[in-house]
Amino acid sequence: MSAVAAKPQAGGAMNPTAMVVGVIMLLIILALCWYVSPGLGLMALIGIIIGGVLIGFGTHFVPVGGAPAAMGQAPGIATGVAMLAAGAGLAGLFGGAWAAGQGWVIATITGGVGGGLMMAITCMMVNFIYVFGMGIPSASGKVAKDPITGDTQAEFKSQGTEGHGLPFVSFVGGVTGGFLGGAGGTLIYLQLLSLYETKLPTLMGVPAAQVMPIAVAAAGIFAVGLFLVNAVLTAYNITGTIEGPHDPKFKRWPRAIVASAVASALCGFVAILIVAI
Amino acid sequence: MVQIVFGIGITALAGALATIAGSAEDTESNIGSQGDPNSQVQLAPQMGFIHRIFNKAVAGEPPAYGLWCALGAGLAWAFMAMQMNPVLAIVLGCVLAALVQGVYATTAYLGRTASLAKFGQPVYVDILKSMTSVTMAHAFIAIFAVVTLCHLINGALGHPFPLPLLGLIWGIALGAAGSATGNPYYGKERQYQNQKFGAGVPISASGNIVRYAEAGERNSLDNGFFTHKIGGSASGVCFGLIVFLEIWRTILFENVSAGWGAIVVGILLILIFTVVDRYIEVWARRNYGPYTEAKVVS
Repeated sequence: MSAVAAKPQAGGAMNPTAMVVGVIMLLIILALCWYVSPGLGLMALIGIIIGGVLIGFGTHFVPVGGAPAAMGQAPGIATGVAMLAAGAGLAGLFGGAWAAGQGWVIATITGGVGGGLMMAITCMMVNFIYVFGMGIPSASGKVAKDPITGDTQAEFKSQGTEGHGLPFVSFVGGVTGGFLGGAGGTLIYLQLLSLYETKLPTLMGVPAAQVMPIAVAAAGIFAVGLFLVNAVLTAYNITGTIEGPHDPKFKRWPRAIVASAVASALCGFVAILIVAI
Repeated sequence: MVQIVFGIGITALAGALATIAGSAEDTESNIGSQGDPNSQVQLAPQMGFIHRIFNKAVAGEPPAYGLWCALGAGLAWAFMAMQMNPVLAIVLGCVLAALVQGVYATTAYLGRTASLAKFGQPVYVDILKSMTSVTMAHAFIAIFAVVTLCHLINGALGHPFPLPLLGLIWGIALGAAGSATGNPYYGKERQYQNQKFGAGVPISASGNIVRYAEAGERNSLDNGFFTHKIGGSASGVCFGLIVFLEIWRTILFENVSAGWGAIVVGILLILIFTVVDRYIEVWARRNYGPYTEAKVVS
């Protein structure tokens, strides 16, 4: 069937066959990992998959309006969704990596709070520039009332636009997305760091202290890479822009979860193979 | 105690460097017309509006600055490994990264503008010569500030990540914060100065950017001068706050209650910014009022 002849589908339509294929691919990769590196490697891969899913799900919360937002034509932050999510998540990863010595629970939450803090400051400054720099109040184009504050939106949309700025629900969405992204990125980093710390000294035949810089750098760069993979996948899922959790596009998250899990499993498996073979 | 005071000093210095970086990044991206507002610079000739605005959307600002800061940090790290003085190593690394930025800016301007030839948009050689060096200078300031703060975080505060990885992370965060805060001011307030103040640009006006200045045709240096005053400063404050508060809460509170101290302080900071944001939103609704009569919604 050609693209012209294909029936038009809503962007959010779920494809059950693709979802099942995705789950089967995920199970195959997990089985391969169990075969190559049972125990520590498999545990690391499960952690990586959970981290990747957190990033993919969290990116749906980040309110991004793309180019139209830069002209006050649409609500959201005026940049790319993957880029903003990456900025917040990596700021979280920075904090989480610093706290790695305090255990994975503390480090993961610290990473999440770092990502949430970055988004809170950014979202606040976005509203600051809209209100005090451009004299424009916030207004959503997707809902009549803000689901959290109950503020009506339609009368605050200027003529010929779909809304502008960040209504409160978008602010909360941004902080939530930053938290999930930062926590997910940190979790991936910690899993890989733990694996590399254990395996690299034997593999390279050097003392553990000597491999630490290599382990930290390799785990860090894989965490950054996995972050970008998952954020970009979500950007495709929401076709580039989203207002936040109140946007109808948010309902597309289940298929992004499956896609993120498969992509994270594949990338994580490659990261594990470095020390498993 | 001495360690904490030393940490606070480094944190303050890192915050100041981040503020400079944010401001320079936004001004560089506005002079070079990078980021989302560049869609209008690209669109204008297609709508019949020939202009003399620089046009160099190499990539989104976050990946572009991720590349340039990682490059600067990586080169500085390599020079330092060759026993070079850190100050000289960082300066040299950042000069080389700024040169790469200049190459990208040149090829992006020529390529993007040449693609608009069928709409009658000329390639202005004088624009290329006068704007590229200015964007490179601002890029150098931004990259230098980021690489220096990464060196402080790594060398003085003991963050485990190597310098190039810190450069990549903070370069992406810089681009994200700078584009989020600065883009609307350049995109709406400067490019569409001919539209009403206090309202978004109607979609029907897309492409009709302001092309004339007080004397002669407007160019991107005018845009940098204008946007720096609010957009650039706000971007600097945004990135400065992110870097300062992230390091500050870690340095002072990471050892309180086995790490929970930094988490609690981080959550409190988020709540404070939430209250400030809500205040700004409500203040705007009360003082600016609605554009139309409120409709009864179910």
